[in-house]
Amino acid sequence: MNANAFDLGEGEPIITLRGIAKSYWRETLEIPVLQGIDLEIPSGAFVALMGPSGSGKTTLLNLVAGIDRPTGGTLEVCGHELNDLDDDELAAWRNAHVGFIFQNYNLVPVLTAFENVELPLLLTGLGRRARRELVAEALDLVNLTDKQWNYPRQLSGGQEQRVAIARAIVTDPDLLVADEPTGALDAKNAEEVLGLMSRLNTEMGKTIVMVTHDPKAAHQARHQIHLEKGVLDRAVEVNR
Amino acid sequence: MRWLALIWKSLLRSRRRTLLIVGSLVLSVFTVAVLQSLLTTLDSVTNNPNSGNRLAVRHKSGITQMLPRSYETYLRQQPEVETVCALQWFGGYYQDPRNFFANFASDETTIFQTFREEFGLSSITEAQVKEYLRDGAGCIVGETLALKNGWKVGDVVPLTGTIFPINPRLTIRLIFKSSRPSDENVMHFHYKVLEEGVPRMKGLTGAFWVRVHRPEDIPRLIDRVDRHYANSAYETLTETESAFNLAFVKMLGNISAIIQGITIAVVLAILIVTANTMGTAIRERGPEIAVFRAMGFSASRVLSLLLAEGVLLVALGAALGILLAQAAAGGVRGALGAVMPFFADFEITSATALLCLVGALAVGLLSTFIPAYAATRRPITEGLRSVG
Repeated sequence: MNANAFDLGEGEPIITLRGIAKSYWRETLEIPVLQGIDLEIPSGAFVALMGPSGSGKTTLLNLVAGIDRPTGGTLEVCGHELNDLDDDELAAWRNAHVGFIFQNYNLVPVLTAFENVELPLLLTGLGRRARRELVAEALDLVNLTDKQWNYPRQLSGGQEQRVAIARAIVTDPDLLVADEPTGALDAKNAEEVLGLMSRLNTEMGKTIVMVTHDPKAAHQARHQIHLEKGVLDRAVEVNR
Repeated sequence: MRWLALIWKSLLRSRRRTLLIVGSLVLSVFTVAVLQSLLTTLDSVTNNPNSGNRLAVRHKSGITQMLPRSYETYLRQQPEVETVCALQWFGGYYQDPRNFFANFASDETTIFQTFREEFGLSSITEAQVKEYLRDGAGCIVGETLALKNGWKVGDVVPLTGTIFPINPRLTIRLIFKSSRPSDENVMHFHYKVLEEGVPRMKGLTGAFWVRVHRPEDIPRLIDRVDRHYANSAYETLTETESAFNLAFVKMLGNISAIIQGITIAVVLAILIVTANTMGTAIRERGPEIAVFRAMGFSASRVLSLLLAEGVLLVALGAALGILLAQAAAGGVRGALGAVMPFFADFEITSATALLCLVGALAVGLLSTFIPAYAATRRPITEGLRSVG
């Protein structure tokens, strides 16, 4: 394994990156963001991507989540070669396999907590009753059943993020991607959200890839991967 | 939650903006519906199906100039002619100048034959006609006009002249029903009431209405009559009833061009306003669109949702605009139907309503598609970067 390649232990890999590169173009100037990344993340892992601004951690997360495409290399996530999928297939793949947790929650302000959680299920073809059951389960898991008819503006930041987590898990995806999930929260709410993510990993076996600047948040993960100028710098196993 | 609920809730994101855009759509569709209906109404004036075998003979210099009533003899002698009726616009009102309606001094002996379709002769008895002919101060009125004023047979109606300096008191001898409301907003009285009350009108009339046996004879008759009176003191202009009505409508100016011009201006204005509003609304939702797509909504699915929002918005505005126009049409019929009889037929036809609805939907699609397409083609990562 070269310096830019990590294997985070045993187990069937859910994410396999081979020579992943990503560049942006500013007119004729190529700006490389990721260069030749090789990485295997086993199913059930909880990985924190860390590094300074501009190191490429969010770009790497976006590639893994299938919302961006690499300029080089191949990536296989949840059993699918993402390079082979067209845009519509990739959208369907995301709906089935990936749950998103954003820094700013990104709930739809005109929908209730219940309706926000129900959104991804609209694409699944499930009937109304089945959807309601799944939403109820997800909201129960994040302990927000009593707030299900509240609109986002009627919730605290921590509650909004828990609704966002319920939305991320309601389709029972294999992979959760989180971009600075505690970045907009105070310490207490951040701890709650991290605890919830940890439970999702340990009790429900969800694979989680999280970008964070926060060492406390990163400490919840089982592995920390540090990026530096678009290459993998080091991987650390977290001892708890 | 269903798709429609999602679309509806998204529309109500900014209630004030939605209300304002729906309001502007309502007014625009209302304006277009009323103007187009006005065109349809004016068009029906010049395309009256009953006009096919009637001619109007008037002074070549215009409808305010008179013709000698003696011309009637020549006209009657023409083999193509069935009847001739002298007709003069009286222009009187009942009690109040606002109670203005169409009233004519007409030749009582030929009026029923000349305009038999308008009078619905099957519903008029011979006794009623005789009663009218017997009473020189009698008059006949259409049912709509009678109902509006609460008149019944035997009532005396005092008319105040506005063109001629007489105020005849006329007794209603007959109330007729017609197939078109516009034909019922009319009063006719004996021609001699005008001739006896206004000495300068003795032996003169504004126009003759000529009914021919066969419509195909009309061109030949027109040519013959006008040639006969060419270079006389009272030269004639003979034309079909439709052409006469068209000339009357044209006195209002080139209404058709004005209406079409205003319609185009309104449609363009609302297209720009809607496009700007939808563009702003969609741009503001860039991050949300990115989140939808991240969750698995395909670009075409998001595009469909945004287009559905635009279409629902304009459909709502258009439907309300059409309803408002329907309500206004009733007001127009009531207020103007008596003054200008053809307005008694004023209505928002289903064809006009459909045209407005389809036009509005086209505006909705057109104004939403460009910003929506651009928003759904934007990379997801770019949309997410603008969050917060």
